[in-house]
Amino acid sequence: MNTFAMARPQSIGQASELARDRRWTLPVLKAGGMDLLDHMKEGLSEPDLLIDVRKLARQGARMAGDRVEIGAGMTLGEIARDPTIVGQAPVLAQSARSAATPQVRNVASAAGNLLQRPRCWYYRGVEFHCLKKGGGKCYALHGENKYHAIFGGDPCYIVHPSNLAPALVVLDGTVKIEGAGEREVALADLFHLPSEDLRTEHGVRTGEVVTSITFGTAPKSGFYAIKEKQSFDWPLVFACVALEMEGTRIGSARVCAGAVAPVPWRLGNVEKALVGVDVGDEEALKKACAVAGEGAEPMTQNAYKVRLLGVAVRRAVRVAAEGGE
Amino acid sequence: MSGVTRRSFLQTMGLSAAAAAAQAKAEQAVEIVGGVRIIGPGPVAVTLRVNGRELAHEVDPATTLMEFLRWHAHLTGTKEVCDRGACGGCSVLVDGKLVDSCMMLALDAEGTEVTTIEGLRSGGELDAVQEAFITHDALQCGFCTPGLVLAARALLNENPEPTLEEIKEGLSGNQCRCGTYSNVFNAVLTASGQKPIMDGGA
Amino acid sequence: MPGIERPTMNRPGNLGQTLNDDTSRLDAVAKVTGAAKFSRDRYELDELLFACFVRCPYGSAELESYDAEAARAVPGVLEVEITGGEGKYQGQPVGTVVAESKTALRRALRALAPQWRMRQSISGVEEGAGEAPMTEPGPAKLLEESDLVLDATYSTSVQTHSPFETHGGVVHHRGDRAVAYISTQGVQAAADGLDRELDLKRADIDVRCEYIGGGFGSKLNGAGKEGALAAQVSTKYMRPVMVFTDRYEDHLDTGNRPSLLARVRLAYGRDGTIEGGHIHTWGGVGVARGGGGAVVPSGRYGFGQLQRTHEDVQMNTGALRAFRAPGRPQGSFVEELVIDEIALGSGQDPVELRLRLTEDPDFHAMLQEGAERIGWDRRAASGEQNGTVRRGFGCGTSSWGRYPARAEAEVVVHRDGSVEARTGTQDIGTGMRTVAGVLASYHLGVPIDAVRVAIGRSGLPPGPASGGSMTSHNVAPAMKQAAEDAKRLVLQAVGERTGRATDAMDIAGGEVLENGEAVMGWREACKLLPSDTVVGRGEWSGQRGPSERVGEGNSKGAQFVELTVDTETGVVRVERVVAIQSCGVVVCRKTAENQIIGGVTQGLSYALFEEKRMDRATGSMVNPNLEMYKIIGTGDMPHIEPVLWLKEQTGVRSLGEPPTIPTAGATACAVFNAIGAPVRSLPMTPDKVLAALEGGGA
Repeated sequence: MNTFAMARPQSIGQASELARDRRWTLPVLKAGGMDLLDHMKEGLSEPDLLIDVRKLARQGARMAGDRVEIGAGMTLGEIARDPTIVGQAPVLAQSARSAATPQVRNVASAAGNLLQRPRCWYYRGVEFHCLKKGGGKCYALHGENKYHAIFGGDPCYIVHPSNLAPALVVLDGTVKIEGAGEREVALADLFHLPSEDLRTEHGVRTGEVVTSITFGTAPKSGFYAIKEKQSFDWPLVFACVALEMEGTRIGSARVCAGAVAPVPWRLGNVEKALVGVDVGDEEALKKACAVAGEGAEPMTQNAYKVRLLGVAVRRAVRVAAEGGE
Repeated sequence: MSGVTRRSFLQTMGLSAAAAAAQAKAEQAVEIVGGVRIIGPGPVAVTLRVNGRELAHEVDPATTLMEFLRWHAHLTGTKEVCDRGACGGCSVLVDGKLVDSCMMLALDAEGTEVTTIEGLRSGGELDAVQEAFITHDALQCGFCTPGLVLAARALLNENPEPTLEEIKEGLSGNQCRCGTYSNVFNAVLTASGQKPIMDGGA
Repeated sequence: MPGIERPTMNRPGNLGQTLNDDTSRLDAVAKVTGAAKFSRDRYELDELLFACFVRCPYGSAELESYDAEAARAVPGVLEVEITGGEGKYQGQPVGTVVAESKTALRRALRALAPQWRMRQSISGVEEGAGEAPMTEPGPAKLLEESDLVLDATYSTSVQTHSPFETHGGVVHHRGDRAVAYISTQGVQAAADGLDRELDLKRADIDVRCEYIGGGFGSKLNGAGKEGALAAQVSTKYMRPVMVFTDRYEDHLDTGNRPSLLARVRLAYGRDGTIEGGHIHTWGGVGVARGGGGAVVPSGRYGFGQLQRTHEDVQMNTGALRAFRAPGRPQGSFVEELVIDEIALGSGQDPVELRLRLTEDPDFHAMLQEGAERIGWDRRAASGEQNGTVRRGFGCGTSSWGRYPARAEAEVVVHRDGSVEARTGTQDIGTGMRTVAGVLASYHLGVPIDAVRVAIGRSGLPPGPASGGSMTSHNVAPAMKQAAEDAKRLVLQAVGERTGRATDAMDIAGGEVLENGEAVMGWREACKLLPSDTVVGRGEWSGQRGPSERVGEGNSKGAQFVELTVDTETGVVRVERVVAIQSCGVVVCRKTAENQIIGGVTQGLSYALFEEKRMDRATGSMVNPNLEMYKIIGTGDMPHIEPVLWLKEQTGVRSLGEPPTIPTAGATACAVFNAIGAPVRSLPMTPDKVLAALEGGGA
């Protein structure tokens, strides 16, 4: 890692100012620092100013009207254990609990999880000068793409790495962003496809700071991830589901998949197909969830993800219908 | 770092002699930007409270907590294994919470209570987790052991009587290449006052 | 050290059959407190310098340019030297950097900014595989004429050793002598290799490796190129120098288990008897020459009239190195799965078939015992289950010989009654320190807590390298002799001072006995020694007598695996492994059980998760870390039951490697049983399991 200066602002305003201060070439915000340190150790990023925001925006879950608000600095571990979130938005608690390791969850922040860069091993390897880093080609396209996208790829085939993002999508989540002014962005609009902008994944601008995340309640919501290892491992595919139930029938559903596309992937076709389905009817459920894979464009090594997606969605529906774990 | 002046240290850290002198001078006058104190670049005095004692070293800001402990404080019980926060080999407790010390800046540990494996025993007595690891031979080469012991201790602090599944989840951030997990599970069960898993007979 | 004897009761079947059931590891306290100092921990040395290699990042590339000046200008850097202009594998050294800190090394490498021009490279064994023509007419005819033929291709991936302490050492040249803390599986070989680098006599080189964070075969190369570099730099600067690979380098250039491609064509009869055929293998050896073979057939089962051919495929990747039972886990995977496929094809139960394919009574007994313990009668016939989650059972066997090695040992008895057992071999996590201590205490007749062990230094009485599973069984006779020699010297002193007849005396349980009656305590006896210490010496030539029968001295094993496969996700969850292992006389129960558990765990990891994955276009590894190079973790662990097999065993035998041989094969058989389709490729990841279920084969 290169040497750098560090600032410990006492307020979001100070943090934002420092992030826009031109005396530094690359000022960056640092919360838990997990993704930042990885970038610096790999030589992918050489910031000259770290703006430490760990102690800012640390407030835990509280009700804001009929929605839940958490500080951007709330850790994954805190989210996983918070009684309000566990009870009112279990999909978010479950997605947080499934992420990474106990060590990482003690440190990694909610905003950091949303804004982290992709895990694509070509992106993470400094010897591959890939498209996303300004180079000439995507190595995954004809290379090792087992863990890459089946939707929304081209010209870059990363999958979005955040566990929390798809959960927040089905919870109708928004993020509050403060900088020169203040704005609120829906999770569904926070991320963009590589075809829109290759070099970035989200729309938070330099000098802006995510300060809080707000989301709706959905007691009948659930998360299901399929992983190769049942200990620390990134998911192959996962699904987040929020249901409105009418007895044992699904009145309406919100379904969002993770690890299948460069952005959290909303599955509108599944949502439509689930309406009216009785969760006790295994065949009907299977049929409805099977449409999840429609329109998928598998790469040379990841066609298995198409099959896994329907399974993850169906199992997430089960978890949701049972009202959480 | 005995016998090293601030200026000569700066020279080893990345600046020419003239710039080093200027930097040293500049640092005496603390940089404040917008009311916020700026630390570094170049060596900074970091004082950490480790195992109940204050440890002070001048280190590059890019120094991780692991490097502070091992390279500067010579507390080498905490191990370097993957240096990327994937294997848990460098685990320590920061304010009682289990963290990967390789993925935390030493600067970020200021103002906290750091507990390393060296600090686990108190008054000459080993921690119950340590005793159980010895009894159940929950180690082979020993390199992953400090991290695992601390992870188990952190788990039991939060969940004094975990099920086997909870033990597996609590230790899911710690890898063991020698493959001694089976004995680790028995050690943690024992340390928590529960029975180890019995092998079925014929 | 009080408190070392700690009975545990959770493996009751193993109790009462070993030299020592209850002793915990002698270095356990040092390890659980972090007091144990590994080579990589030597930061306390004054004036420590650091060095590293500049390495080629691609499979094949030419070094076009670099900025040595910028690298040298990084403060703390002492030297930057580029010695090569091209690399033929990722990780190949082309230069070195010397600096005052690791941070400076890393910053120098960054400032160096080498520019490479990539060339075509080979990084997969299948790239070198072609036809596998049969040349022997007998086997060819069998294949032509048989109704029942298995014709299939199997593959395994490159597995890196990934010891948690990476490769390297700290060498300190002090002018007239040198101390070298090398992370090595062979302190003697390391010392041998350094005399040239250090320009010192062998006797003036003290290699110390009292604690090592794993090796698994990759640290059997003396001081290694890292140790050699440290020695060269230390000689120049007369300062201690640390050279250790970081995790990225460690995956590239410190050896690996080669990948395998196997083309199998076997004719078999209606009762499953294998008539013969052809097995051709390709081994992906990296830049090495030779060593890529797989041991299949193993010799444990009859394979009829078989033509066996092999080719090594050279690739632009780091050379292989022996990895715990080289050639066997991959060979066993092929062999055991082939047998289960033949079993299904001939309507035989796999255990029954194995009982017919081998005549060895030990394997018969082990297979039957293992089948009973796992509950083999709960096994459904392959392909007959319909649920989402299907249960499978599989099994496999193993055998390992005894490699001879010279060993010397000493047992030093002090006047205060303390005892030091001394052996210049290593404890690489195997528990050798404890085994040596138990042997000394057992043969001397004193409790284990009176014994300290000195191990892991080249200046100690030379012992074998920790490889080939030859440590315990070669050190044991030397340590026995040394302990008995020490006993003789103590009794001689007692006899001389008390007038008792030495041939009527013995030592047992920490007491001197005369005609079976305790007459004196151990401490009291030691006070009578003529000098501060007496030294008992022992020596073992390594050679067995001509009377040792063929097959004697084999460690044998059988393993049974029970698992489930989720047929919707392809995820395999192993629930239980019964691992039966013979290893002769078991000196120390706990460390022996741990060797078995460790071997099985590594075998499961190999079967399900690990692979060095290469980008073909660049010849670069895409997962050179411990995140995407997937080692088994807690959530994947089944219940493993190590079963010590002590029926009619004589002498200490091999243990380190045998338990990792059958695991992948047994696991593959269990997956096959669960889903009715073979997954013929390791690791058996969900994508491959799903493909097998879909009928595409894997």
